[in-house]
Amino acid sequence: MRHWRWMLTLAVACGAIVVFFPFFWMAVTSLKTAPEIQRVPLQIPPDHWLNFGNYVEVFKREPFLRYLANSALVASIAAASSVVVSSLAGFGFAKFRFPGRDVLFLAIVGILMVPFQSVVVPLYVWMNDLGLLDTYAGIVAPDLVSVFGVFLMRQAIEVIPDDYIDAARVDGGSELRIFFSVVLPSIKPAIATLLIVKFMWNWNEFFWPMVVTTSREMKVVTLGLMSFTNMYFIEYNLLTAAAVLSILPILVVFVLLQRWVVQAVVMSGLKG
Amino acid sequence: MRAWYRLVFPRSYLDRRKRAGFLFVLPALCFFGFVYLLPLAQSVAYSFYKIAPGGAREFAGLSRYEKVLTDSTFWTAVGNTVQLLLLSVPATVVCALAVALGLDRIASLKWRNVWASMYFLPFATSLVAAALIWQWIYEPVYGFLNYALSFAGIAPQKWLQSLAQVKPSIAVVSVWVRVGFDTMIFLAALQTIPEEYYEAARMDGAGAWQRLRYITLPMLNAQIVMVCILELIFNFKIFDQVYATTQGGPAGASQTIIMLLYDTAFKYFRFGEASVMAVFVFVTLMVITVLQWRLLRKPVEY
Repeated sequence: MRHWRWMLTLAVACGAIVVFFPFFWMAVTSLKTAPEIQRVPLQIPPDHWLNFGNYVEVFKREPFLRYLANSALVASIAAASSVVVSSLAGFGFAKFRFPGRDVLFLAIVGILMVPFQSVVVPLYVWMNDLGLLDTYAGIVAPDLVSVFGVFLMRQAIEVIPDDYIDAARVDGGSELRIFFSVVLPSIKPAIATLLIVKFMWNWNEFFWPMVVTTSREMKVVTLGLMSFTNMYFIEYNLLTAAAVLSILPILVVFVLLQRWVVQAVVMSGLKG
Repeated sequence: MRAWYRLVFPRSYLDRRKRAGFLFVLPALCFFGFVYLLPLAQSVAYSFYKIAPGGAREFAGLSRYEKVLTDSTFWTAVGNTVQLLLLSVPATVVCALAVALGLDRIASLKWRNVWASMYFLPFATSLVAAALIWQWIYEPVYGFLNYALSFAGIAPQKWLQSLAQVKPSIAVVSVWVRVGFDTMIFLAALQTIPEEYYEAARMDGAGAWQRLRYITLPMLNAQIVMVCILELIFNFKIFDQVYATTQGGPAGASQTIIMLLYDTAFKYFRFGEASVMAVFVFVTLMVITVLQWRLLRKPVEY
């Protein structure tokens, strides 16, 4: 029995190391020079562990800081607006009765079945008509709210005792006042979760930004990464350095706040 | 009707509260209406039009459908997508189940969290970055994979550049990105299974396999179904990984539906044909989801 347990732990650990390896390999490659990565046979450690030349080169070749800033801006706006709209809707769905409420909620959840790619052509045409192609507003517009957010907020608000809300009503607060003074303070964990998850999703977004942007200045970081592949021979030392730069911010957020992300995943899973 | 009338013109306090509730959900409703429902209807409408790259459109009946659905390129892309899906979905779900079962048995909470977060890490990465890292690992001459395999006496393979290996190679990237997400769902569900069930089974002399077969898997039924559906949807829409690495190559062997849709719409600006594909994707996903839900979701039996 003891042996068996050890074997199991070992298997899990080996798997985890295999899964982690690509990250390690990316980081190591980003510290190598071009001749180093073309050595045969391959050498795993870089000659100098503190060779950050590739990172400097990334910023020289492309406005990579701009890409990072664009992604941060777009993802922050999407996360913030998502929290506002979703928590309002969550309150409405969880604590009020009005005609059509359940049907409307079901309709929103049903939107999960509509793939974004099925609506992308009309959205592109509208953005074009509105003159929003290649603007921040255009990039962020379809991501301002997500179904998951509404779902999460409804779940979180449902468990607030009705007594709290009624007590605030007796005190004569308007419904909006109640929302700010009673509801929002009691769903802080859900807000944190949604902020992180939505930020992460939008930071990693690729399809729509590619469709809607044309100029170099409006590229987000995933598109910026692609500009290191448009050559005959891909300079993987630069590409991996750029990849590290694109992943690192989100990875730091993720590792520090993993608890919330896991909660979000579990939430979407258990209530499925 | 009267209920709706009262929403607009509330008479009593209760009417006003109903209206307040409706107003709270209104922004979200508007958003989803404008970003999903209206464009979806528009996509359906576009699919009946012949739209020139400049924007001039004329009604074309079902001719766009005929054009797309009789085009061998389209069916090749559908075939590729299905093959990719058959490679990655079962692999992802089985791996995630195995990892979750393994993690669940690890007694030390601290170590369990460490290993779990390592499996979960790729989920935070963009698909583009993930695919590009893997492309470097797959690199035929300088890549790590061929180097590692050389120790087992295996000759260098071409991976993403090979007709036969490109699909499994891309499937590995999809599995790598998704396995942690599914693991988390399974792990959370595993922890809700009461320990007494296992103890009772042990008393009755059930072995490890029997406990897995008759307790764990039935208790996870709902999660397994849901994860299968999520993975199916995710893999059906595969785009980023392919676009970033092979662009559909070599010789169209990794061309997928969404790749074709993207090219048709935004490279050749043939919105009519692209909309036919959009409708096809939507209808297929809806049918698959509903069917899977119906067929696989059984009531939990004890």
